[in-house]
Amino acid sequence: MVTLDKNIKGVKSVLTSEDIIVFEFASLSGKKFASIYADGVADKQLLGELVAKPLKDVKEDDTLEEIKKRLASPEVKDGDKIADAIKEISDGNAVLFVDGEKDFFIIGLKKPPGRTVAEPPTQVAVKGPREGFTEDIKTNLGLVRKRLKSDKLQIKTLRAGKQSDTAVALIFIDGICPDGLAERVQKEIEQKSVDIVPDSSYISQFISKKPKSLFRHNGSCEKPDIFCAKISEGRVGILVDGSPIALTVPYMLIEDFQAVEDYYQVSYRSTILRILRLVSLMVGIFLPAFYVSAQLFKIQLIPYRLLLKISSSVSGLALSPSVEMFLTLFLLEVLIEASIRMPKYVGLAMSVVGALVLGDTAVQAGIISTPAIIIIAFSAISLFTTPDLVETSTTLRWLFLIIGGSLGTFGIVMFTAFLICYLVSEQSYGVPLLAPFAPIIKGDLYDSIVKSNMYALNKRPEAFKAKNKVRIKER
Amino acid sequence: MTKISCRQICFIMLIYTAVSKFIIYPTYLSYYTGRDLLFSALINFAVQGVIVWSVSYLCSRTDKTFFGLLKDTFGNIFARIIFGLFALFFLLATINPLFEQKLYVHDIFYDTVPSLMIFLPVFFFLVYASAKPFLNIGRCADICLPLFLLSMLLILVMSLHEVKFDNFLPVFTQPKKIFSSSLASVFRFIEPAYLLMFMGRFRYKKGDAAKITISYIGGAVFVLVVLAAFYGIYGDVAPTRHFAISKISLFFPAIDLVGRIDLLALYVLEITMLFALVLNIQLAIECIAQCTGYENRAVLSVAVNAVFFLILIFCDNKYNAISTLFSKWMWIVFLIFANLIPLASWFLRKKNEED
Repeated sequence: MVTLDKNIKGVKSVLTSEDIIVFEFASLSGKKFASIYADGVADKQLLGELVAKPLKDVKEDDTLEEIKKRLASPEVKDGDKIADAIKEISDGNAVLFVDGEKDFFIIGLKKPPGRTVAEPPTQVAVKGPREGFTEDIKTNLGLVRKRLKSDKLQIKTLRAGKQSDTAVALIFIDGICPDGLAERVQKEIEQKSVDIVPDSSYISQFISKKPKSLFRHNGSCEKPDIFCAKISEGRVGILVDGSPIALTVPYMLIEDFQAVEDYYQVSYRSTILRILRLVSLMVGIFLPAFYVSAQLFKIQLIPYRLLLKISSSVSGLALSPSVEMFLTLFLLEVLIEASIRMPKYVGLAMSVVGALVLGDTAVQAGIISTPAIIIIAFSAISLFTTPDLVETSTTLRWLFLIIGGSLGTFGIVMFTAFLICYLVSEQSYGVPLLAPFAPIIKGDLYDSIVKSNMYALNKRPEAFKAKNKVRIKER
Repeated sequence: MTKISCRQICFIMLIYTAVSKFIIYPTYLSYYTGRDLLFSALINFAVQGVIVWSVSYLCSRTDKTFFGLLKDTFGNIFARIIFGLFALFFLLATINPLFEQKLYVHDIFYDTVPSLMIFLPVFFFLVYASAKPFLNIGRCADICLPLFLLSMLLILVMSLHEVKFDNFLPVFTQPKKIFSSSLASVFRFIEPAYLLMFMGRFRYKKGDAAKITISYIGGAVFVLVVLAAFYGIYGDVAPTRHFAISKISLFFPAIDLVGRIDLLALYVLEITMLFALVLNIQLAIECIAQCTGYENRAVLSVAVNAVFFLILIFCDNKYNAISTLFSKWMWIVFLIFANLIPLASWFLRKKNEED
């Protein structure tokens, strides 16, 4: 006969940390129980309500089956290996040992500390749902389930991270998602071994065929409505415990120009906004480089009257146009980085120091010119119209500035051609990154830069090769 | 070689046909034929259009590649020899556009004439792009089409209002020169050779031959419009103006206010021109690979571009000599490879014994 003490010792010999609590109690008839859980992760109140309280009437000779029936928790699993018990306790669940029994119960009482569902800071919507993912995977799965009540919704749970043992959920809709896609993603995740997975960005690199690429190969979002819409187009969604950022594959570059509101407002307006985003991105990346190369190599690019203004601003400037632009851009990057890292109450002071003191005095001292500041500021604002591409676009802005400053506009054109050549050959799980433009997929063009009305989008994107292609049909 | 689609071939025919004839060709024609330049160009386009239709129609009769046709008719060794010659042909066909590009880049991208060094980084791009798989050609054409159309629209809108149509009168003053200049310009028309290389690489559907030919005609129309705009604006002084496409929009009244916005269109067009250059090199590499059986495209790309690099270094200021060489002597080579062989390919064995 296995005593309660032996089981407790078995667990405590591995989980030696002080936050592993052993709660021993007995029924009125004297039957002994021990529940082990991780303090702060498992819900103690529920343990009392759903486990300890119902077991007070257990008789000395009751079998395990009879005890299980008395448990009020809806999530009770059987276990027989101490290793399993250790895993579940670490995961936030409670394990219930019964005196004299080798087998035990795993009770789902996981309630890790976390914030409540709130509007995500990176995908704010004026119209449409405001709920955002949190760091808790169960909450996130609930948010998805709330929107996709389909019986075809499939959730596969994996584990990643040797130390963190992080839960990763693959979500897709059976009958829409192409065959084998979820398995491919699963294989990519399972093949990689890493210590901890603190955020979905780790998984993002695992599932990318080219993790070193400047361009990402998977989509991301913080809102369950976007996530569900993407899944229903035939993608596989990935939720990672501890991360509010959900991932989706396959991915097309055009996704980053599609904001959530585009689908909740008049399609004409959405099209205009998408064109605006594309133009802004181009302006943000190319403007500093063009300005420098125009000054250095092709002055005709600048309109005559503007040229006069610029020449009066830059006359007497100590630095060359490229060094001046470099310095201004560097100043901007420092300001952005510092404003993110600094405590909020220092932020105001820093804005004053950065924008007014540094910027204004630098102009007055003749180190940088006013047009350079205007161009960099405009470029920075423009890039934030496509927030998901900011990492890539800011890097590209630096590269174009270097090339434009050294080779002139021809360098810019050449590097653009190089990028096109690179991008047209890139794929994300068999879907070309530049689809539906290269290769042209006629049906998918209706939701690209142009956003057609809902009835024109009656088919799922062809690029994903969804099993069920029809999205809207008459009943 | 991966398959490309008929649509992408159409785009290639439309865009690359046009952009390869925008730089020196208009100046050359206006020098030799004066106001009759359109007729000279029309003759070339008409002849080439028929051959383009002929080759694309041949694609409906066989799903074999050109190499396959040659191999089945004359054997493997002969097919390899022909592809070796085609590799040389495509290399030859790249030399003139490469030099034109260099001069054009120096003109439109820089206020002062820069050193050759500023153009040489183009080889980084050419090596990279040429080493890419064949699939890239078609996808790049997909991207280039809107760029081409947008930039052409802007350039033509900025230029057409200045065209004086009386510059073209009277016509047919030197009919002999029309034909001689057409013959001398043959080296600029190699589209049927492209099509030979695309044979069997796309799934032919009914009507594709017409689509490809119409696309070619579309490209021809763009060239003819640019020629008309160029001569219509400059008239008798046109032969002294090089890089026609960059000169036709100069007189747009709003340029003083908005700056040389036509330059932006020209820069966008330059992307297409670079890809047109890449197409020749990629096809040369493809032919070398077929001829030698050596499949490492990266190595071939480096080797081929190294040759061009050396040619450009050693013949930097010899464009006139190169142009003369091609127009006076090389036309026969181009006539054979871009005209006669594509037509002769109709006589190759199109079906297998068992068919």
